[in-house]
Amino acid sequence: MSSLKPAAFRRIESHTAWRMLAPAILLLIIFIIVPFLLAFILSFTNERLIPRPIPTKWIGFRNYIRILTDPEFWQALKNTFWFTMFVVPTQSALGLGLALLINQPFKGRHIFRSIYFLPTVVPMVMVAIIWAGLLQAPEGVINGILHLLTFEQLGPYDWLHHELLAMPTIMLMSIWQGVGFQMIIYLAGLQNIPKELYEAARMDGANAWQRFWFITLPSLRNTHIIVLITTTILSFKLFTQVEVLTKGGPLGATNTLVRYIYVAGFQYQKIGFAAAASVIFFLLVLVIALCQHRLIQTDKEY
Amino acid sequence: MPKLLHWIYYSLLTIIAFLMLAPLIVMFSTSVKSDEFLILKDLGSIAAFWPGIPSSENYQQILADPNMPFLRFLLNTLIVVVSIVFLGIGVNSLAAYALSRLRFRGKKIIIAMVIALIIIPIESLVIPLLLLVNRLGWVDSYHVQIIPFIAHPFSIFLFYQFFNKIPKTLDEAARMDGASFFQIYWNIILPMSLPAIVTVAILQGLEFWNSFLWPLMVTRGVEYRPLSVALAQFFGRDLKVWGDIMAFTTLSSLPLLIVYFVFQRGFIQSAIGSSIKG
Amino acid sequence: MCKKFIIVLIWISFASTLYGAQTIQVWFHSGKGEEREVLNEQVKRFNQMQSEIKVNLVLLPEGSYNDQVNAAALAGDLPDLLDFDGPYIANYVWSRFLRPLDGLVNKAIIQDLLPSIIKQGTYPGDGRLYSIGTFDSGLALWGNKQLLEKAGVRIPTSVNNAWDLKEFEEVLAKLAATSGVKWPLDLKLNYGRGEWFTYGLSPIMQSMGGDLIDRKRWVSSGVLNSKASIEAMSLLQKWNKQGWVVNAASGDNKFYGEKSVGLSWVGHWMWQPHKKGLGDDLVLIPMPKFGAKAVTGMGSWNWGITAKSKHPELAAKFLEFLLQPEEILRMTNANGAVPARLSAIAQSSLYKQGGPLHLFIEQLKTIAVPRPFHPAYPIITSVYAEAVDHIIAGGNIEAELNKAVRKIDEDIEDNEGYPPFGK
Repeated sequence: MSSLKPAAFRRIESHTAWRMLAPAILLLIIFIIVPFLLAFILSFTNERLIPRPIPTKWIGFRNYIRILTDPEFWQALKNTFWFTMFVVPTQSALGLGLALLINQPFKGRHIFRSIYFLPTVVPMVMVAIIWAGLLQAPEGVINGILHLLTFEQLGPYDWLHHELLAMPTIMLMSIWQGVGFQMIIYLAGLQNIPKELYEAARMDGANAWQRFWFITLPSLRNTHIIVLITTTILSFKLFTQVEVLTKGGPLGATNTLVRYIYVAGFQYQKIGFAAAASVIFFLLVLVIALCQHRLIQTDKEY
Repeated sequence: MPKLLHWIYYSLLTIIAFLMLAPLIVMFSTSVKSDEFLILKDLGSIAAFWPGIPSSENYQQILADPNMPFLRFLLNTLIVVVSIVFLGIGVNSLAAYALSRLRFRGKKIIIAMVIALIIIPIESLVIPLLLLVNRLGWVDSYHVQIIPFIAHPFSIFLFYQFFNKIPKTLDEAARMDGASFFQIYWNIILPMSLPAIVTVAILQGLEFWNSFLWPLMVTRGVEYRPLSVALAQFFGRDLKVWGDIMAFTTLSSLPLLIVYFVFQRGFIQSAIGSSIKG
Repeated sequence: MCKKFIIVLIWISFASTLYGAQTIQVWFHSGKGEEREVLNEQVKRFNQMQSEIKVNLVLLPEGSYNDQVNAAALAGDLPDLLDFDGPYIANYVWSRFLRPLDGLVNKAIIQDLLPSIIKQGTYPGDGRLYSIGTFDSGLALWGNKQLLEKAGVRIPTSVNNAWDLKEFEEVLAKLAATSGVKWPLDLKLNYGRGEWFTYGLSPIMQSMGGDLIDRKRWVSSGVLNSKASIEAMSLLQKWNKQGWVVNAASGDNKFYGEKSVGLSWVGHWMWQPHKKGLGDDLVLIPMPKFGAKAVTGMGSWNWGITAKSKHPELAAKFLEFLLQPEEILRMTNANGAVPARLSAIAQSSLYKQGGPLHLFIEQLKTIAVPRPFHPAYPIITSVYAEAVDHIIAGGNIEAELNKAVRKIDEDIEDNEGYPPFGK
């Protein structure tokens, strides 16, 4: 091969490259790029899932107008935002806390690390069902423990069917399932902080709190960004727990954007309408991703 | 550490460990109780954590129920996940190799495209995809759950990054010996990329073991339905028989838990790996 | 040798298609156990008594039946004959799943059908008959005579002397105060969000002058969210808030098992359990006149032959078999439904003049309102059921009904009014 002329060799190299890329590129085009473009196109039509005896028509921005004037859309958006706004900081803070605990040199830390990470390996459908058992009303473990801890003053509550409690309950469950993930990322971040920084601080007489505040937190800047972004986008896609446990109820209190898309497109078969909702959903995710990009770019070390 | 602090420390760790394990303990304990009345009574108290005298009755019932063939659902999930993982590793690493090692026009555009595609969430694609597979007549099959997800931009990106770290001198030496590009990929690069392969396999495997929204829309009967959807359906029945439900859930989470305990390091590595996705 | 073998094989397969039975595929919703048993037995007998047609019966879950039909239509997998809940007819005919039955089913049978069955099976788009049920439904109040007498209330016996709203609420209040009554009324909320809400509860709206949709202009706005509809739904919410209605979590058997409920608002299909549970204490009470008139529901599961069936005349033969008076009676004696043929009604011990369920026939003849015949029915029923669900949970009635109206009218607009409707 090396005996070939450079130009001929280049041609072979280029051909080989495209042949190696072909399967991936073709699949990406058919199953990501085409659907992506299709979503935009469909969002301006009245397309249906099942073929029907009338032709599909262009209807301009009607789907978008309907979505933006639909109280259920705004409720779903609000719920998704609330979920994200609460879960992201709480989960991150708890993840960092666990990472700090685990990061101490002591016997058995690997066992604890494995246990804390365990729930992230249990698929979400199963997590939701296990929790449904715990959350039973009136006779569920959580009501039982609450009853015990408050000397029979509080409860029982029907957690998942209460308009104000349902969303916080789903948040709590999601945090339990996901916190091990944040812990691992923070643990990796902590282990990358140079030991010398702490030595120097100790020399200067900084106490544990000051070391945490002035060394640990700032050194984890990149990790914070990573955790923040992954958790935000994950939270934004909230669907499984809600579909299994509450179907968006009670009174839409746990409905989310992805469920809104699912119900419109699959249950009501309004493909055009659901495509418009998908486009809006995508644009929101894009905004989050762009914010991330900005955050990372202002950080030169990254 | 002083002794008292040590004590507090371990207690704290143990309490948290208990909180993390508690739901799983309840799941297991409930699944081995055969008396449904007792289960309902126990679920309301601390007794929920105690398995009592374990019975395999619920498990036998689950495995014998012709309407809910657990093994069939498990097989369906395994077929889908294993196919995605194997085909995915092949297709994605091959593409990544070309991007990392070969020179050709348009390479930069392709790399930029792959990175751009990472941020498109599958949730925003399911509606047009649903229409597409419906019109193709793919609904209710294995391939409708496999083919759309083989090419995975993030996996390509991970492989690409990993391959970039492998010294180029290795390929050059091989090329001197007359090895073709594919031979280099197959004999040199892939064997050196085991950590990347494990990471990608776990990430893609977990993602599709968990997948719920898509199979919910494209599978209709027992034949192709994966565990996640079957379990949700089993749970969704009006009459909740907790012993059976928890036995079904235990059986469903078991395969993954076993794999986790065997490949723990891989799981943790892949969690870290996935975080750069951002 | 091998060649000969193949020729023999081909010949055998040829012969068997020529002389053997033709198989027709039949779909049935797996609803009530009794219905399933009777139909299974009927299929078995039909397959044994003749050698021309072999019926292959497939049972599908009721909850997702419509989805399955749509999916099968898309994949070209529809059976030859299938049953479906009455009001879906307009949607199925509009979507071209079904073929007309005139010319396929014997005229004498059609002329003997209960008028409500003909009405339910006729597609308003072209006025032709597309589906026939072997039975119709009946919806009324079932009472526990012992508890009602203890509460000291008048028990109406005919549509002409039905309770009005005021008296009905007095009955509920009196029952609530009666010892032994835990709940005055069971609305079968335990069935959950589904067809029951539309079938069972929309008559309250229609009785008070509201409806799901304007049946001439096919617009829901101003009808489902009209004052009358809002008022009707507020009754539901009020009864529920007052603790008069069995809640969803309490299960199915409070009326007939625990006997702690005075009135059960449910259809014919509960005849057997009710009779077994209450015996002579069971009374059937006509639907109350909430507004100007009393209204009950009608229509049940119907049989239709698909447009793509290759053997429509064979499917029709099996349908005719099911429509024989004695076969109809086999079914209706098991599920308590109204027999579809006048000749069968005359022979029915339950439904003949003076029979315990004769009231259902009187209601069907006088006060029954079908669910809307419109291709948008699947969406109408699904959004209405959601609204009812939310209203019972305490949601704002006007907001919930407005949401439902919006979805219905948007769907009709998205389908250009479902031509030839709305023109």
